[in-house]
Amino acid sequence: MLGSIYAIVGVALTLSIGVLKFLNFSIPGLFMIGGMTTWVLIRHGAPWPIAALSALAVGAAASLVVERFTWRWMRTAQEFVPLVSSMAFLILFENLAVAFWGSELQSVPQLFGTSDWRIANLVISIPQLVGLLCSVAMIWGLSAFLTRTRLGRGLRTIAEDSNTALLLGVDVNRIVPLVFVISGLFAALAGVLFALNYRQVHPFMGEALGLKGISAMVVGGMGNIWGAIVGGLIIGLAEAFSIRYFGADFVDISVYGLLLLILIVRPTGLFGDARTGARA
Amino acid sequence: MTGPDPILIFDAVSKHFGGLAVIEDLSFSVRRGSCTGLIGPNGAGKTTVFNLITGVYPIDTGRILLDGVDIARIPSRRRIHHGVARNFQNIRLMPHLSALENILIGQHCRNSGFLGVLQPVNLIPGNRWREEARAALAEAGLAQIENATVGSLPYGLQKRIELLRALMAQPRLLLLDEPAAGLNPAETDALREDITAICRDRGITLLVVEHDMHFVDALCSEVVVLNFGRKIAEGSPDRVREDALVREAYLGTAAAEQTHA
Amino acid sequence: MSGYLEGVLVLLAINIVYAYAAFLPIAAGQLNLGIAGFAVIGGYFSAFVSNQLAVSPLLAIPLGGAVAGLVGLAVAVPVLRTRGIYLALATFALGEMVRAGILNLEVVGGAAGYPVTAFIRLPTIALFTLGVVGLVWLLFSTRFGIAITAVHDDERVADLMGLNVRAFQVAAFTMGSAIAGIGGGLYAHHFSYIEAQYFSISLSISIVLYVLFGGTQSVLGPLLGATVFTLLPELLRGSAQWRYVIFAAILIVVMVVRPQGLVTGTQIRRLLGLRSEFDRKEQAT
Ligand SMILES: Nc1ncnc2c1ncn2[C@@H]1O[C@H](COP(=O)(O)OP(=O)(O)OP(=O)(O)O)[C@@H](O)[C@H]1O
Ligand SMILES: [Mg+2]
Repeated sequence: MLGSIYAIVGVALTLSIGVLKFLNFSIPGLFMIGGMTTWVLIRHGAPWPIAALSALAVGAAASLVVERFTWRWMRTAQEFVPLVSSMAFLILFENLAVAFWGSELQSVPQLFGTSDWRIANLVISIPQLVGLLCSVAMIWGLSAFLTRTRLGRGLRTIAEDSNTALLLGVDVNRIVPLVFVISGLFAALAGVLFALNYRQVHPFMGEALGLKGISAMVVGGMGNIWGAIVGGLIIGLAEAFSIRYFGADFVDISVYGLLLLILIVRPTGLFGDARTGARA
Repeated sequence: MTGPDPILIFDAVSKHFGGLAVIEDLSFSVRRGSCTGLIGPNGAGKTTVFNLITGVYPIDTGRILLDGVDIARIPSRRRIHHGVARNFQNIRLMPHLSALENILIGQHCRNSGFLGVLQPVNLIPGNRWREEARAALAEAGLAQIENATVGSLPYGLQKRIELLRALMAQPRLLLLDEPAAGLNPAETDALREDITAICRDRGITLLVVEHDMHFVDALCSEVVVLNFGRKIAEGSPDRVREDALVREAYLGTAAAEQTHA
Repeated sequence: MSGYLEGVLVLLAINIVYAYAAFLPIAAGQLNLGIAGFAVIGGYFSAFVSNQLAVSPLLAIPLGGAVAGLVGLAVAVPVLRTRGIYLALATFALGEMVRAGILNLEVVGGAAGYPVTAFIRLPTIALFTLGVVGLVWLLFSTRFGIAITAVHDDERVADLMGLNVRAFQVAAFTMGSAIAGIGGGLYAHHFSYIEAQYFSISLSISIVLYVLFGGTQSVLGPLLGATVFTLLPELLRGSAQWRYVIFAAILIVVMVVRPQGLVTGTQIRRLLGLRSEFDRKEQAT
């Protein structure tokens, strides 16, 4: 299950890399915003669907703010500048959350009772199932959007070559915010799923998860959406395996070792094709 | 056709980009000490010829001989050590360096060992390499922009710095890609005189790409004409001008120039 | 000198060292997001040597730097084949892996941290910092500095001008790693205790932020960036999280209005009275 959350964060990251060639470090922050907003609203008595939807909206809005201050200004600046600004946003979001809600681990109330389904020997919890279905639906939607609609094709043109896109009359300034909104939505969705399933949130929850999301993205090949999903599952599996066979202490060594190995041996990832950029 | 004492020989060179044949079975030679023009309509492959000589792209087939050495087999970084330097059609100076430092980059190939790299050019005012570069700038009348960051300089000055940078490598063969583009007639004339004098004094062979036919006429003793990556004519500027294929290739673009010249 | 002041100055000196560790590769157009990983290598190695062999920290710390540099060299060669963002990610993965590895290394205390017997105070640390800054400054007043900038500005042209682009990148990366290792050694020997948890990706990121804030085009940039970001939080009153909020906000704004960082090469040349005629004209108009 954690693997699928990595996958969704990976999708958010990969979209930004694929289309904008921008490693958006604020995405772990948006993940945290998604989770924390869900918790805050539920704590104040909001029903969980409302809380979840509002969290998505807040995540998308925050992502637009990031766009204003990173991409909008810095397309022409030095290469690392957007990256650095997005890191600054991560720090900003995390510490704002600490300032308002403290840095403790907060628990989200149990919402669904003991709602496990038992089919033969398989135990499936309903929130997990719903979460999984939701994410599959959203990813299908994204992929259809990229291949079927005019806007989506424009987006992919930018991914290929933003100058050509300008020549072809693609309105880059209108589309780029869209990319940020979509990746904000996905990051927040991952946060909501995390909050509802693991019922624990805290201001720095994005860091570890964001790092795993980055790994998922790289393993799958940057810019490749389905690759990020498979990558997320692989990272989840690698974690489970190393816990099983080497003990919990070795999880990070094996995950980051895998990441490093792939970056050295096959930097385009398992399914990536550096030339095509974003592919649905 | 190989003239006497060639410094550069293009021998049946081809280059494709994907499905596009940009240079096809191209053979020509450049006589030592000559000033040879490489002309042709837009997209003919002139810049690509320079890119193949300097190793920006590998060639598909053929040989490129510089004084008998097949430089096509040498890594691009080493080619300048064999005495070939160039400028770029779109100026490519290092924008964060000063004019003087850009010139110092031009010296690198003569000074690239470990000790060379550690030359304290910006520490000791009297450093030999630094003084050499300053003298070159001063000689070109650019002493006053020595410390200007090149990114902020006007186009014409940047072009001159780029030419100086190439000259600092002390090449045997100098490749100039549209050196007169963007200059006014007076500047063009001054440039032509400069280039002629420099090449004569230092024994540099020049291969120059230029669209300005007056410039080519006045500067070059020989001309090679490309069209669609193939050689369509070569010889003296006058001979080439009379060539039917050349007229056809230029029709509509430089036809007016052809008739009034 | 009060303990508080000494504490702040030690932190400042170490942060300056880290900033130069990040600066060297950045100046060559490479982003090293694994500075903390190299610091941890240098810190643990020097601590181990000075604990086990009773070697003076003055020797152990440079030794730790050398080991970090060697590790840097070993990864730079394969990793620098990848470009831009891939390299940043690879260094990031490396840093996290090193940290996770040390957390599991029982010889040096594992997750419990590693106590260091030898102790150094501000003067020694300041000396090391001066040494690092001086060396980098010397290096950048040679042809090396110019070549590094050239490689950063235009790899292709640098290559055609005969510069061995890869060698310069590997050199800058390796030296940066060694400097990071020295920083880690200083930290371990001053605080008498070293803990891998502290050397997280957040540390690497803050260090990169110092450099980009200060400016990547001149040797003074990292010095300025590290100074501002070490002293500013001390000057700001209020709780830690609000300091961070302000820190991040300032950074975002600076990157918007001045993406090249606070100081640039042009400004330095002006400051040194090397203004050219052209710059003057430029300013007049
Ligand atoms: N890297 C490349 N990839 C693909 N095609 C290329 C590349 N470089 C050049 N070409 C193609 O090769 C052809 C020749 O280009 P080249 O730049 O050599 O022309 P040119 O004669 O210098 O033209 P101009 O007078 O406009 O400078 C053009 O059709 C160009 O599009
Ligand atoms: Mg051309």
